Amino acid sequence: MAQLRKPLFYAALALLLALGRLLLPASAAEPVTIEYWHINSPTFGGPAVTELVKLFESRHPDIKIVEKFQPGVYTGLMQQLQVSLAAKRPPAVAQIGFNLTAYAAGQFPHVVLDKYRESDPEFFKGIPDNIMALGLFGGKLHGIPFGVSTPVMYYNPELFKAAGLDPDQPPQTWDEVQRQGQIIKQKTGKLAVYLQQPNDEWIDQTLIWGNGGRPLSEDGKRVGWDSAPAIEAMQMWQDMVQKSKIAANLTWEEGIQAFLSGHIAMCLTTIGRQEHMRKNANGFDVRSAPVPRFGGKPLATATGGNVLMIFASDPAQEKAAWEWIRFLLSPDGATIWTRGTGYLPPRAALANDPRYLKPFFDQAPLMKAALDTFPYAKPWVSFPGSRGLEITKTLIKAREEVLEGKRPAEAILKEAAAQANTLLSR
Amino acid sequence: MSLAAPAGSGSIALAVGGARVRLRRRWRANAVAYLYLAPAAALTAVFVYWPLVASAALSFYDWNLVSPDRVAVGWQNYRDLVQSRAFRLSLVNTGQAAVALTVLTVLAPLILAVLVLQVTPRWRNVYRVVLFSPTVISMAIACAIWLWMFHPLYGVLNAALGLAGLPAPAWLSSSDWAIWSIVLVTVWKTFGFNFVIYTAGLLAIPAELYQAARVDGASDAQLFRHITLPLLAPTTLFVLLTTFVLGPQNLFIPTQILTQGGPNEASNNVGYLVYQLGFEYFRVGYASAAATLIFLVFLVLTAIQFLLAERRIHYGG
Repeated sequence: MAQLRKPLFYAALALLLALGRLLLPASAAEPVTIEYWHINSPTFGGPAVTELVKLFESRHPDIKIVEKFQPGVYTGLMQQLQVSLAAKRPPAVAQIGFNLTAYAAGQFPHVVLDKYRESDPEFFKGIPDNIMALGLFGGKLHGIPFGVSTPVMYYNPELFKAAGLDPDQPPQTWDEVQRQGQIIKQKTGKLAVYLQQPNDEWIDQTLIWGNGGRPLSEDGKRVGWDSAPAIEAMQMWQDMVQKSKIAANLTWEEGIQAFLSGHIAMCLTTIGRQEHMRKNANGFDVRSAPVPRFGGKPLATATGGNVLMIFASDPAQEKAAWEWIRFLLSPDGATIWTRGTGYLPPRAALANDPRYLKPFFDQAPLMKAALDTFPYAKPWVSFPGSRGLEITKTLIKAREEVLEGKRPAEAILKEAAAQANTLLSR
Repeated sequence: MSLAAPAGSGSIALAVGGARVRLRRRWRANAVAYLYLAPAAALTAVFVYWPLVASAALSFYDWNLVSPDRVAVGWQNYRDLVQSRAFRLSLVNTGQAAVALTVLTVLAPLILAVLVLQVTPRWRNVYRVVLFSPTVISMAIACAIWLWMFHPLYGVLNAALGLAGLPAPAWLSSSDWAIWSIVLVTVWKTFGFNFVIYTAGLLAIPAELYQAARVDGASDAQLFRHITLPLLAPTTLFVLLTTFVLGPQNLFIPTQILTQGGPNEASNNVGYLVYQLGFEYFRVGYASAAATLIFLVFLVLTAIQFLLAERRIHYGG
C-alpha cells in the first residue's frame, strides 16, 4: 500500500490547488476578458483580426480580447458554438454567417440588440437600411452586419480575346453570357462559365432574386423555389450545363481551380476571393464584372458574409462585447477589416472617404464590381424554425440534381419545395 | 484476526478460517489487479459506454443540445428515419462500400503480399515502402491530391481513360460515380496497412512446413491452399474485422472533403449522415436515433462474422 500513498498525496494536492484557483475571487483590477470567435484563417483575414485586437486593446486597457479562429467556415463555427452553449461557456461575440443567422437567432440563447438603438444611436448612423436588415429577424435586431460580400463575375480577358470578343465589354445579361459563351466554346474549345457550387445555396438565391423571385415568401410560410422565376433561372443553369454545354458542373474547389488555370472563361463567386483570384490566376490578369442580369430586370444579388452576435450572459462581458463591436464597425476598425479581407464596409460611405478606404478601393480594381452591386444587395435568406438548416440542404440537393440533368428543373424544384414547406411548418 | 483463534477450537473452525484467509488473500491479490484496471475501465465507461447510453436516451427527443425546450417525441425519430431517403441511400451506399472495401483491401493485399515475398529481400523492402507510404499520408492531404486527379477537365485519371478510349466520368459531381470515387480514395489510403499485416503474417509461417511439403511433392497452388491460407487465418480474421468495422468509418474524411455526401445524397454514408443530422442540421435526437440503429446493425453483423469465423480458424502455437 505504501507505494500508493505518494500518488494519492499528489492527487489530493492537485485537487486542492484546482479548487483554490476556482474559489479565490479574481482581483478587481483585472481587465474583463472576452472571447471573440471568427472564421478568419491566416490566408483569409487572420492578420487583420490580430491587428484589430492590438489596436482595440491599446485604446481599451480595461478589456482583453481572446480571438479564436474556428475552422470549417460558418458551419464549423456554429458547431463549436453549439457545443460551447451546451457547456454554458459560449464566446462573448461570434461571427454568424448570414445563412445561419435565422437559426442562431431563433434557437440559441443570445442578446437581442434593439436596446442599443436607444442607448447608442450614434453607432447606427451611416449603416444603410438594406444592410442593417441582414441582422433583423421577426422585427428584432439579433446581430450587427459586419462582413458583407456580393457575388461578382470574374473573367479571363485572354480567353475573350482569343474568341474575338472585347474583354472591356463583359456580358451584362445571362442572354449575353450564353451567346458569348457559345463563341468562346467554338473558338477556344474552353468552357464559358462556372457558377460556384459549394455546400450552400448563395448563388442559387442570387439567381432567384435576380430573376424577380423570392427565396422565401414574405410571411415566411413558404419557400419560393417552385415559383416561375426560380424554375426559369435554375432551368437556364441546367441548360447551360447539359444542353449548350457551355457551363461546368464541378465542385467548388474544382471550379475555381479550373478558372484560375485558364480552362473556363468566367467564374461567378464571391468578392471575398478577389485577393486569391488576383494572386493565383495563371497566365492572365483576372478582371471582374457585376453579376449578369436577367433581360431588363434590375440587378439583385444575395448578400454573403456575417453578423456579429453577442452570447455573453454576464453584464460586464456584454458591455465589453458591445465596445468591441462598436470598434470593429468604427471607421478605423472597418478600414483594417476591409483592407484585410475584401469584405465591403457596412458603413458604405467609407469606401469613398480618402481618409479611410478610398485608397484601397482605388488600388483594387476587382472590388469595383462589388461596390457597384452593393446598392442592389438583397438578404441571403436564412430559413426560420428548428428545421431551417435542413431546408437549406434540401435546396442544395435539388440544385445538385438539377445540374445532373436527369429531370427538368420544374419537377425537381416542386418536389424539393414541398419537402421544404413541410419542414418550415414544423 | 482469524489466525489468532483460541487454541482447541477444533479443526473445522481452523479449516473455515483457512478458507476465509485464502478468500481474503485472493481478494487482496485481485484488488490490486482491479485497481490497475480501474483507470482504463473508468475511462471506457465514461467515454464509450456512457455516451452510448446517453445517445440512446437522446434518440427519443427533438432537441439541439442548446434550446431550453427539449421535446420528448417517443419513437418519432425512428419512424422518420426509416422513411427517409437519405437514411436508406446511406445504408445502401455504406453496404456497397463495405463490400467493395472488403474485396479490395482484404483480397488484393493478400495476393500482393504473397507475390512480394517471392522477390529478393532488397526489392521486397522497396515494395513494402512504396505500398505502405499512402497509409502514412494524412487522409486530408490524400483527399487534396485525389481532388486534382479526379478533376473532370484536366485530371490525370480522365486523361488516362481518354488515352484508353474510355468515357471520362465527372467523378465527384456524378451521382453514379461519387461513392466509388470515395471508395477508391479509401482503398488507396488503407491498402498498405493490410498489406503490411499480411506480410508479417506470412513471414511468421515456419519455413520448414513449406520445405517438408515440397519434399512430399506439393505444387505452389497446394502450398498456398493447404499451408498459407490456414495458417494465415487469424491474420485474415483480424484484417477482415478491422476492414469491415473500421472501413466505413474511413469513408468520413473523404466524404467531408470531396463531396459532402452529394450530389443529392449519392455519396452519403451512415457515418457522415449522423454527422450531418447532428452537426449540420443540429437535430441531435434524430442523429442519435440514426447512430443507435447503425450501432445495432453493426453489432449484429460483427457478431455473425465472429461466430462464422471462430469455427474455421486455426490458431498456431
